[in-house]
Amino acid sequence: MIDYPNCEIIRVEHLSKSFGDHQVLKDVDFVVNKGDVTCIIGSSGSGKSTLLRCINLFETPSGGQIFYHGQDVAHKKDPDLYRRNVGMVFQSFNLFNNYNVLSNCTLGLRKVLKMKKAEANERALHYLKIVGMDAYQKAKPKQLSGGQKQRVAIARALSMHPEVILFDEPTSALDPEMVGEVLSVMQDLAKSGLTMIVVTHEMNFAKNVANRVVFMDDGVILEEGTPKQIFENPKEPRTREFLGL
Amino acid sequence: MFETIGIIIKDYYKWILEGVGYTMLVALIGTLVGLGIGILIGVFRTMPTPKNKFLKVLKKIADVILSAYVEVFRCTPMMVQAMVIFWGFALLNDGQTLNVTVSALIIVSINTGAYMAEIVRGGIISIDQGQFEAAHAIGMSHSKTMFYVVIPQALRNILPSVSNEFVINIKDTSVLNVIGFAELFFQAKTIVKINYETFATYLLVAAIYFVLTYSITLLLRFIERKMDGKKNYKVLGSQNMDAESYAIEMGGNKND
Ligand SMILES: Nc1ncnc2c1ncn2[C@@H]1O[C@H](COP(=O)(O)OP(=O)(O)O)[C@@H](O)[C@H]1O
Ligand SMILES: [Mg+2]
Repeated sequence: MIDYPNCEIIRVEHLSKSFGDHQVLKDVDFVVNKGDVTCIIGSSGSGKSTLLRCINLFETPSGGQIFYHGQDVAHKKDPDLYRRNVGMVFQSFNLFNNYNVLSNCTLGLRKVLKMKKAEANERALHYLKIVGMDAYQKAKPKQLSGGQKQRVAIARALSMHPEVILFDEPTSALDPEMVGEVLSVMQDLAKSGLTMIVVTHEMNFAKNVANRVVFMDDGVILEEGTPKQIFENPKEPRTREFLGL
Repeated sequence: MFETIGIIIKDYYKWILEGVGYTMLVALIGTLVGLGIGILIGVFRTMPTPKNKFLKVLKKIADVILSAYVEVFRCTPMMVQAMVIFWGFALLNDGQTLNVTVSALIIVSINTGAYMAEIVRGGIISIDQGQFEAAHAIGMSHSKTMFYVVIPQALRNILPSVSNEFVINIKDTSVLNVIGFAELFFQAKTIVKINYETFATYLLVAAIYFVLTYSITLLLRFIERKMDGKKNYKVLGSQNMDAESYAIEMGGNKND
């Protein structure tokens, strides 16, 4: 194996995506290194979700490449193996309604990683503890609040030991009083060295937790840099406008 | 009146019970096999289109055949289907007819299968796309996603429709009297030929059908409620980990 500089995990090159004749992503280049916490900001409709969904191969790119440890995965026939290593946390939680909290976290371990029940339970409980949801292991998703659901969804993603987790507006569907509990879990994860790509409208989170901020506008990455650069001294007028500077 | 009914019960209870037994047997098995057929077809028809050209064409052809099956059986009366299948089989086998009970099971099963196929398909496509995506996101294949996540939820959601099909089948097996299947209605016809008590006999049979279908309805509703599980859950003692000990743990993780 070739050693990649800065322990590169994902590299997106010239990525484009069109739905019909509507081009949503235009020549996007993007690198994620190990330990990076990247926040993607930008107005709604700018293509943030589509970028994440391309990285996760939920959408087939119209052009360009996505490298995972140097291997092009963009047109993989069988993305399941790759997806084990790339977790995803959704805006609408998407917990499996037919399983309780614990089983939500063990399903992938048991059926995808073929783990023994005891081992899977142990691992899942460990991550449920980290998100503070171990006490609710027997609860069904519909019995939980939004914030609790999202914390379980994070534990479910963590249980697979992914190399990177993609978060698509993880707090946008939450009542204001629940946003904090989810962000604080995510902040802990960031501190622990987990590689994360977070699409968010929580500017304070981006400012304080990310080491890299990407501003997307109309299908392109208009500007990227450290939180300091983007929030205090953005170069592009469109970025300034978006941030209300 | 009640006296007459009492006499009918006394004289013919064996025939009546036999009729009830056959009716319930065919309705139950027909519904279950029909549900099985419906699940297979529903799963097949909601499969993502294959990328491979050849498989794509195969799938298209199978789709056409399956929708022909569904529409033909939904758009013709079961009584007519029973005659066509029963006598069609005889024609193809030099006048040798198929065992009537076996015929009845086959007819009700494939008739129910046609309805179930649509019910199951509706159940599957009504499952939120997010459930599929969450399963795919942890590396589950389409078949695992269907088996562990989508079908269990779809089945729960369509349970009222499945129950309804069962109740309909209890009543509709009566049309199988045309092939001489000894279900409840057929038994009633036979009894009337002997005792000429047409009204009393059919009134009794109507009451029996009602008791059967209504008690099954109540039973299935009870099962539905049971399946939803407990309304509450127990909160177990929690020991939260702090960020720092987690950071150490994750640090250890990185190297493996
Ligand atoms: N499946 C789809 N089909 C057609 N258009 C889509 C689809 N998904 C997204 N779009 C369009 O792509 C654009 C970008 O969407 P999205 O990536 O969701 O933006 P964001 O997440 O930044 O709000 C929007 O104009 C949206 O309408
Ligand atoms: Mg979005």
